[in-house]
Amino acid sequence: MRPGLRFGCAAAAFLAAAPLVAAPESALKPEEMKTVIVLDELSMPTPGEFFAAINKVERPNWSQLGRAAGPLATTNRAQASLNLGTRVADGFIAVEAQDGQQVKNIGKDIIDLAKGLGVSQSILGRGNSIGDFAENNDWSALKEELDATENEVKQQMADQKDDELVALVTIGAWLRGVQAASAVVALNYKPETAKLLRQPAIVETLVARVDALPDRLKKNELVGKVHDGLVEIQTDVAPTAPPSADTVKAIQKTTSQLIDAISGPAAATPTPAK
Amino acid sequence: MKRLLLALFASMSLLHAQEASPTPSPSATPDVTDTAAEAAARSAALELAGAFSNDGYKIRDGFYFGTLETGKSALVEVNLFAGNEYWFCAAVNDPGRKLAITVYDEKGAPVEQQGYEDGPKTAAGVVAGTSGKYFVKVTLAEGAKSSFCLIYCYK
Repeated sequence: MRPGLRFGCAAAAFLAAAPLVAAPESALKPEEMKTVIVLDELSMPTPGEFFAAINKVERPNWSQLGRAAGPLATTNRAQASLNLGTRVADGFIAVEAQDGQQVKNIGKDIIDLAKGLGVSQSILGRGNSIGDFAENNDWSALKEELDATENEVKQQMADQKDDELVALVTIGAWLRGVQAASAVVALNYKPETAKLLRQPAIVETLVARVDALPDRLKKNELVGKVHDGLVEIQTDVAPTAPPSADTVKAIQKTTSQLIDAISGPAAATPTPAK
Repeated sequence: MKRLLLALFASMSLLHAQEASPTPSPSATPDVTDTAAEAAARSAALELAGAFSNDGYKIRDGFYFGTLETGKSALVEVNLFAGNEYWFCAAVNDPGRKLAITVYDEKGAPVEQQGYEDGPKTAAGVVAGTSGKYFVKVTLAEGAKSSFCLIYCYK
């Protein structure tokens, strides 16, 4: 194994039995970079990946970052889509907190929101799986199941010609993940944790996704707020250095306002205590 | 194993919704043979990623299907977090074909990586030094035009 790379024991043993391939030295050509494929389900990281990175430099009290569910029923499909995304991220937070009951509650909310959006009954199986894994404290499986559930809901939304709402699910999940992470960083500021909040490429993609929405959705008051909030965050994370403590607080404030607007004040997120 | 089967089942339902490949099939209607090959490629990629899940890696549910001519590549954008470890796994459904994976940073420079190759299955492991955009390039190094599947896992 090359110096600087560290992988686990099982992976190392697996690799020891396999031929290794040297990495090439040549860089990508500009014309190659123009052909890049951006896929929601592969190019956008899950909140679980984000939280895994945070756990390497900090030991947050994830249970303090959980929140009660706000009202789920709404005729505003944009809001329901955004809210569904926030609940997926809540699921990852509950998994980090190893709170099985909360995971089950969130799984039920995800299914209810999905049904409200017209997603077919087949998603019910996912809800059952989430419940089963939570019952068995299988936290590792739950991370994969939450990822799979989000993708399945999005796929079914796309199948029923609701492609534009898919972007809102992604945005909701990302906003809630950043809100929780910024709360962790604000509580105990460290540049190495703060730099994880610097995700300019992701924000740029999300702003572009909102810009690409049809006019009728862009005129939705909540979608407009989300767009403006994302642009604000885009400005905050633009410098190359890790966000300062003040910038982290600004990101936390912006994301908290957006999450309150999406999920309702009843779901206000508690600020973790030191 | 249950999760692997669930994921495989989900992949079957998602096959028709794949994004445009670098060399899209000229046929407008899905070819049943191609679909089966893609499902098999996904299965092989999951099998490879499964080896890493024993070491605590979480397998992402998302995947990319594409079709490549010999010597041609597909470039997929991913966003990685500093400190996390990643394995990108790709596979084709034919022992006579070989893939190569290279990971590049946001400026297009190759990043330090660990490689694994087993016939039509290949993987590249990286530890993200900085958070941000990266590019994963999959090249059909040997064999005739083929469908492939790319997935990744992290911890």
